[in-house]
Amino acid sequence: MAAIARVIDLVKIYNMGAVRVPALNGVTLAFDEGDFIALMGPSGSGKSTLLNVLGCLDRPTSGEYWLGDEEVARMGDNSLSEIRSKYLGFIFQSYNLLQQYTVVENIEVPLLYQGIRLTAETRRRCIQYAEMVGLGERLDHRPNQLSGGQQQRVAIARSLVNDPHVILADEPTGNLDSRTSVEIMQMLRRLNESGKTIIMVTHENDIAQWARRVIRLRDGQVESDVRNEQRTMVELAS
Amino acid sequence: MLSFAKLHRSLILAVRSLWLHKLRSALSVLGIIIGNVAVITLLAFGEGSKQDALEDIRRTGATNIIVRSVKPPDVSTSGSRSFIVQYGLTHKDFDQFLTIPDISRAVRMRVFPQDIYRLNKKFNGRLVGTTPDYAAINKIDLAAGRFLTEHDDRYMENVCVLGAETADYLFPFEDPVGQSVMISQHFYRIVGVMKDRMPTGGTGGSLAAEEFNNDVYIPLQTCNVRFGQAVVIRSSGSFTGENVQLHQVTMTVDATVDTKAGREKVRAAGNLIREILERNHGLKKDFAVTVPLDRLEDAERTQDRFTALLFVIAGISLAVGGIGIMNIMLATVTERTREIGIRRALGAKRRDIIMQFLIEAVVQTTIGGLIGVLIGIAAVYLFPPFVEWISKYFDALHGVKFPAQLLLWPIAVSLAVSVAVGVVFGLYPAWRASRLDPIEALRHE
Repeated sequence: MAAIARVIDLVKIYNMGAVRVPALNGVTLAFDEGDFIALMGPSGSGKSTLLNVLGCLDRPTSGEYWLGDEEVARMGDNSLSEIRSKYLGFIFQSYNLLQQYTVVENIEVPLLYQGIRLTAETRRRCIQYAEMVGLGERLDHRPNQLSGGQQQRVAIARSLVNDPHVILADEPTGNLDSRTSVEIMQMLRRLNESGKTIIMVTHENDIAQWARRVIRLRDGQVESDVRNEQRTMVELAS
Repeated sequence: MLSFAKLHRSLILAVRSLWLHKLRSALSVLGIIIGNVAVITLLAFGEGSKQDALEDIRRTGATNIIVRSVKPPDVSTSGSRSFIVQYGLTHKDFDQFLTIPDISRAVRMRVFPQDIYRLNKKFNGRLVGTTPDYAAINKIDLAAGRFLTEHDDRYMENVCVLGAETADYLFPFEDPVGQSVMISQHFYRIVGVMKDRMPTGGTGGSLAAEEFNNDVYIPLQTCNVRFGQAVVIRSSGSFTGENVQLHQVTMTVDATVDTKAGREKVRAAGNLIREILERNHGLKKDFAVTVPLDRLEDAERTQDRFTALLFVIAGISLAVGGIGIMNIMLATVTERTREIGIRRALGAKRRDIIMQFLIEAVVQTTIGGLIGVLIGIAAVYLFPPFVEWISKYFDALHGVKFPAQLLLWPIAVSLAVSVAVGVVFGLYPAWRASRLDPIEALRHE
């Protein structure tokens, strides 16, 4: 499989006043297209920092980051915004929907910043994604009228609407009960099986089981990198 | 790239965000609203009172020049042989005035108090001996009948025209036209009655406030024949006598006050008249020349100063309003830090964030501006009836008038300034919002 994203000798150092705190200390990884990767590790291991760099929200202190065939580590703010808008989809732990918008409008937001014209056609596409995550009945609801699981499903639909290369999920089930977590993971797994590349941060082993590959970080370095044995969805859900 | 769709979305979002905090938004635009109301109403009332003042001056005749006889203070009756004082304008002065080229009309007047009798009723009126041109030069309106004619003057007819109050007092229940009154032993046939005439204001120059409603007008020649040169005036038990050929001469200059050249013409004629009088009367200052145009220009200058002051006040209140907006916008940016982070993560560029907050500020100030304009217009229409109501039910503000004239340009200017205030004071908070670090912003609670 071709690597859709590669990081080479990634270093990220935070300057906390006089103290320099290394968060990533020479991480080299390749992410294959169509893979489902779980990033694990204790807090402070650098997994969130890695996700931020992969999400083009943060720039590494040194090292390279190739997304497709573009080196994005040294890009300016505007170009990074464009990369996020074109190639990346985000799912957050706390859903991060915009409270002023309805379900369908929230799904539409990434298109708003792509500079494409919002038409009845794009609106139809957003409605399709809403239906896909099972919220076709609640298009005009506001986030505060939805349950946590429903909100996360809106967030998933939103992360898909720009047809991204990579979906980045930051503890997508962290705020959900175990039954809803399973629902969400089933959804992500189905997306992955239809060809989407997903990189997910989690600290729960149960959740990491759903991924195909598990990378553990410790002290800013890769501790282990293993492939999960292939299990069916039914096995995982039980 | 700022597409129309994006702008449209931003506008909707801005309105929704403002609607989410109705009270806060309303309070923050209060300054803008008050500023706009102030501009609209003050300028409307300012313009109204200006028009009122100018109308008052135009009633006197803006292109008129008024020359009056003035009793000199140093001429006392005790020292002289006669108790009759001789002073004032002469027919010779008048003939010389007529030689000034731009003067199209000139009216001579003799004015003195006289008792007017009708059966057993006596009215303490003012006799005005004048020529037919008086009607045209003073732009008077008749309630009934006609004014004096050339014929009346030439043949020294015993006819008169009554002022509104004179007519009302002497003929309370009948039509005065065709009836007669007696003035100083002679009967005069009434040919016309004047409409109620506003007194002229007494400000500026030597033009004292003048009341016209208790006048009686008779032909000048008739006046000269019936009363002679010297007139004895009886008042509160004592007599004063005077020998005045003409009390007042009013001239109209053939010019318009709307152009500079026209105004120059009026002023030149005024100077010529002063020269003639100074030559004829020497050191005796028994005349006064009034050019109403001077008052017109005074009034205009005052108005301009007033307008400038209003602009300063409006500017201050709009600046205060703008600071209010900025304050709230800064708070909003802090409050919506997380939203900014989400938008940045989903691909919003810095300038998208700037536009979003800028549009919100501009929408706010524009709505405030519109509300202010509407309240201002309402105030202009509702204030005068309100004052009337107060004077009716409370014993206050009697006769206080608020003439108002709604102008279009202050409305346009206030709206434009409201938009500008939104841009200027929204820019810094919007810039602050765009500089937030996406990761920090996402982590913000």
